[in-house]
Amino acid sequence: MPSENSLDRPAFDYLARAAGLDTDNPHMNELFPYVQNAMAANEGLKKIDTTGFEPDSAFDPAHFYQD
Amino acid sequence: MDALELCYMSAGDLSTLIRNKQVSPVEVIDAHLSRIEATEPTLNSFITLLPDHARDAARRAESQIQAGNYRGPLHGIPVGLKDLFNTAGVRTTSGSRILDNFVPSEDCTVATKFQQAGAILLGKLNMHQFAYGPTGENFDYGHMHNPWNPEMVTGGSSGGSGSAAAAGQCTITMGSDTGGSVRIPSALCGIVGLKPTYGLVSRAGLTPLSWCLDHPGPMVRTVVDAALAMNVIAGFDPNDRATTMRQLPDYTASLDGSVEGLRIGVVKEYFEAPLDAEVETAVRAALAKLSEMGAIITEVSFPMFFDSQAISGTILMSEAAAYHRDLLATDGDKFTPSVRLRLEAGLFVTAADYLKAQQARARFNYEMSRLYQEVDLLAGPSEPITAPPILASEVTIGDSSVGTTGALTQYTRPYNISGTPAISVPCGFSATGMPIGLQLAGRPFDEATVLRAAHAYEQNTEWHLKRPPI
Repeated sequence: MPSENSLDRPAFDYLARAAGLDTDNPHMNELFPYVQNAMAANEGLKKIDTTGFEPDSAFDPAHFYQD
Repeated sequence: MDALELCYMSAGDLSTLIRNKQVSPVEVIDAHLSRIEATEPTLNSFITLLPDHARDAARRAESQIQAGNYRGPLHGIPVGLKDLFNTAGVRTTSGSRILDNFVPSEDCTVATKFQQAGAILLGKLNMHQFAYGPTGENFDYGHMHNPWNPEMVTGGSSGGSGSAAAAGQCTITMGSDTGGSVRIPSALCGIVGLKPTYGLVSRAGLTPLSWCLDHPGPMVRTVVDAALAMNVIAGFDPNDRATTMRQLPDYTASLDGSVEGLRIGVVKEYFEAPLDAEVETAVRAALAKLSEMGAIITEVSFPMFFDSQAISGTILMSEAAAYHRDLLATDGDKFTPSVRLRLEAGLFVTAADYLKAQQARARFNYEMSRLYQEVDLLAGPSEPITAPPILASEVTIGDSSVGTTGALTQYTRPYNISGTPAISVPCGFSATGMPIGLQLAGRPFDEATVLRAAHAYEQNTEWHLKRPPI
């Protein structure tokens, strides 16, 4: 179920346009509730205390330099 | 030798017969092609079958072995690859008609390694479209069907790999596992599926779903065969920057050890999540068996298990959307609607949320590493349910109805977050005859202990000897 903080339709349309999606496509009527539900399912992320933890990064400045 | 027996023989046993010239690779391949012909109309495991290629390769293998050039335990062994492993000259669809005519010019590293070992490619296996779904339903190439009951899903995304290995269509199959896609179909089809440590098996030449969560792994009928496959496919690959440069063991060497004194932690939170009663009974019986065999079973707590969905969901959605963004823009309406929804939803995840998920992943892995100070392995169910009916969007567990996708990935995705090795090994059957899997997970790069425990359990039970009624 969408949470209290979930996207409303105007915000969804704005973000969809920004992502390059065709907001006139009827498919958007399916995508809108799907996105709301997906965001609700992932909302627990905000509650995880990540203090002191840096995201793992695959960045390697030497990667394209062959010995 | 009886053709069906050849199809159900393990790679370990088959290789002995081939090496001793008691069975020819031609005989082995012919037996498997006959088996495929008989069962494929029901199972739909393959997207592309390669009978002529396989027969040619078998004749070459036969000549090589007759001439004394035996290459090792996989020489002449029939393998199948999930159809997102690139194969030179053979179309690789990733389970989508959008790529129906995509013919790679180069083999992926895994295919190259199998070929160098003398294994024979029988074909490319059906899968959930772009590996983005855990059921094995495919609207482009037809759904995959479970050999134990064709009305039920195989599980996915490597569903064809699961059904092909379970039904004796291939001796070794390969899948890829982003949230459970090796272990889910392995558990639901009653076979062994190993998701190795991230970076142990090359991803080069595989269609990505999520760069940092994808793990290629073998799907087979015995633990020995998983070890034999790992001996061939594991190791550094300059084309995959994530692969390890560690010195690797012979994975078959550890299999003879016992579980005496091995500390196995049972995550109590696994049993607080929705879990079918029959599955719980079978898994607890398997743990009791391991205890009887000398393992020290203790209960451990891992509260961050309940954060798995949010962490892996956010990472997976973002990376999958990033990879498929261009194709979505040009061919969005050619995607299966449910896959398109999942991919497009990823476009709405913010960069900050993605990085928060990566931070949370680091904490998740820290917390998990602390568990491994107390135990050698973690154990629990591979799946909370047996295979549900094809196209069931929800499943009933106890008194509650839950989404099929969430249920099927609930126990597998934690080990994609951790990147650590996890295996599903058969541990029982439901009253309706559907397989149940036990999941064992170990420390990074400690496949040897995972395989040893799984093998010891397998050899003390008979679940792996049962054959589906097809």
